[in-house]
Amino acid sequence: MILEVDDLTHRYGDEPAVSGVSVSLEAGELLAVLGPSGCGKTTLVQAIAGHLRPTAGSVRLRGRVVTDEPPERRRIGLLFQESTLFPHLTVAENVAYGLRARGVDREQRRATVARYLEFVSLEDSHRAYPAELSGGQRRRVELARALAPEPDVLVLDEPLSALDRSLRVGLREEIREIQRETGVTTLVVTHDQEEAMALADRLVVMNDGEVAGVGAPRELYESPPNPFVASFLGRSVTLEGTVTGTAPPTVALGTAEVRVESVGGLEAGDPVTCHVRPETVSLNGTGDDLAGEVREVADLGRRYDLEVRLETGDTLLVECRSDPPGVGERVGIDLEGASLTVF
Amino acid sequence: MSVGERFGGPRATRQPGLLVPALLGALLVIYFTLPFVAFVARTGSVDVLGGLTTPEARGAIRNSLLTAPVSTTIATVFGVPLAYVLARETFPGKRLVEALVILPLIVPPVVGGAMVLTAVGRFTPIGSAAAALGVPLTDSLIGVVLAQTFVAAPFVVITARAGFGAVDERLERASRSLGYGPLATFWYVSLPLARGAIVAGIVLTFARAIGEFGATMMVAYNPRTMPTRIWVDFIAGGIDRIVPLGLALLVITLSVLAAVQRFGRVPTVINR
Repeated sequence: MILEVDDLTHRYGDEPAVSGVSVSLEAGELLAVLGPSGCGKTTLVQAIAGHLRPTAGSVRLRGRVVTDEPPERRRIGLLFQESTLFPHLTVAENVAYGLRARGVDREQRRATVARYLEFVSLEDSHRAYPAELSGGQRRRVELARALAPEPDVLVLDEPLSALDRSLRVGLREEIREIQRETGVTTLVVTHDQEEAMALADRLVVMNDGEVAGVGAPRELYESPPNPFVASFLGRSVTLEGTVTGTAPPTVALGTAEVRVESVGGLEAGDPVTCHVRPETVSLNGTGDDLAGEVREVADLGRRYDLEVRLETGDTLLVECRSDPPGVGERVGIDLEGASLTVF
Repeated sequence: MSVGERFGGPRATRQPGLLVPALLGALLVIYFTLPFVAFVARTGSVDVLGGLTTPEARGAIRNSLLTAPVSTTIATVFGVPLAYVLARETFPGKRLVEALVILPLIVPPVVGGAMVLTAVGRFTPIGSAAAALGVPLTDSLIGVVLAQTFVAAPFVVITARAGFGAVDERLERASRSLGYGPLATFWYVSLPLARGAIVAGIVLTFARAIGEFGATMMVAYNPRTMPTRIWVDFIAGGIDRIVPLGLALLVITLSVLAAVQRFGRVPTVINR
């Protein structure tokens, strides 16, 4: 393991920011920590980078405990949400900054700076000052600056949040590519689930200072371990139902009986909460089992979002690719092929 | 009266937005200019060069040019680190420290001088011990430096503190993560980024130190500096006698300001 965070707890005064968080990264892995704002992500990053001494728990880098060591004694490349390029230094001086601290001689520094600036396609900007660059260029210079000293771990704290959407997607791909090429072990912290899913080999979902789920992005998305992960990873709608059978596991939602993957340890007659992915719900049902009335249709360009008020009283969000029914129309809901998770 | 008229409708003459503040400010500028012009106008009837070449005047100029840079250096060497700590740390008693830094600014310089005197005067333990070692802390150039530093040092502390406060702490964290310790980070990041404010503070401190009169008079009436010499000349011979040294003091301060602006690439003294 390159990085091991073990049972990390930190309190600001009496306020717990993270409690009992354990995360580990293998060499070359890209791990994303995903969670809503205020879930303790930034505290975790600061503890890993050494800008904060945690109340309890430990941080290990390449097997060495560094919990009490200052940031300059850890080899962690850090990228904040906002640019931290030194405004009084040129692009080349910024990228060389970390190399000088590591005692790299002038010739070697120049060569490394040139290599990394070429790497981020800014080979013509050596002498520019940060203020002369665009937001995306500044990000790339920062990436070069963080990578040049060859850190053990690259930590990206909300690296794309301050950029506009088109730039974000481009830079996201660039980060992924750079990570693949350099093989640097990377930790990305983000509140953007699309960003996390697109980047990560493995995902850690955090909620309220604790780890809510760990796993491959697709695995967590398809079988979320708890309601929080289900609702935070992608969109899901909750429906109240009742277990009707365990072998095979079935759940009654209104008058419809739907087959599910598992009902955990529940028994027939137990009430359950089902999470449904809106994109997996079909509107081609006969309406005999489950039906509702379309309350709202939102045209989002690539798809339509329909709000359907079910006869059971629940509201269901349904995604629809084309030819949406009109507001007020009665539609039959088919949950047969839907992705349903029972908690 | 229609609503339009009451609210200065289309027919109401449109006033330039800055007219009122500009007029008020102009009055103050006139008040600054008038004494300055009147004073400089006196130079026509006074032998400035002759006044500056007397042994007393030359001694005063020499003393001021010796002491003010030393006071400014002391204020800077100790004041800039203090400013950094105040800008970056919270600690018990911080408010008290801040109050102490401002204290010399709010006490009248004469009272400040009296305070210094009660601490290091000839008959105090510190003063007598120093005098016994042959380093008198009053009525000496050291006394002048003590008085100037007491009165002028807050300027560099307060200005530099504002400068450090404006430096994004994340830049310092980035520097730490790139392998630099706290001192190296201060040197390579915080200090250069707060440079404009620090230089402005140094200039203000120097101008205050070289013009210091009240506290200096209490702590070291002798040897004479330019301000104390000006006072003595004024008592003896009125306004015209002080025009040469007064002008010299002005020229020195303006030259320092101009040089700092020129070489320090700081646009104005108080732009940050």
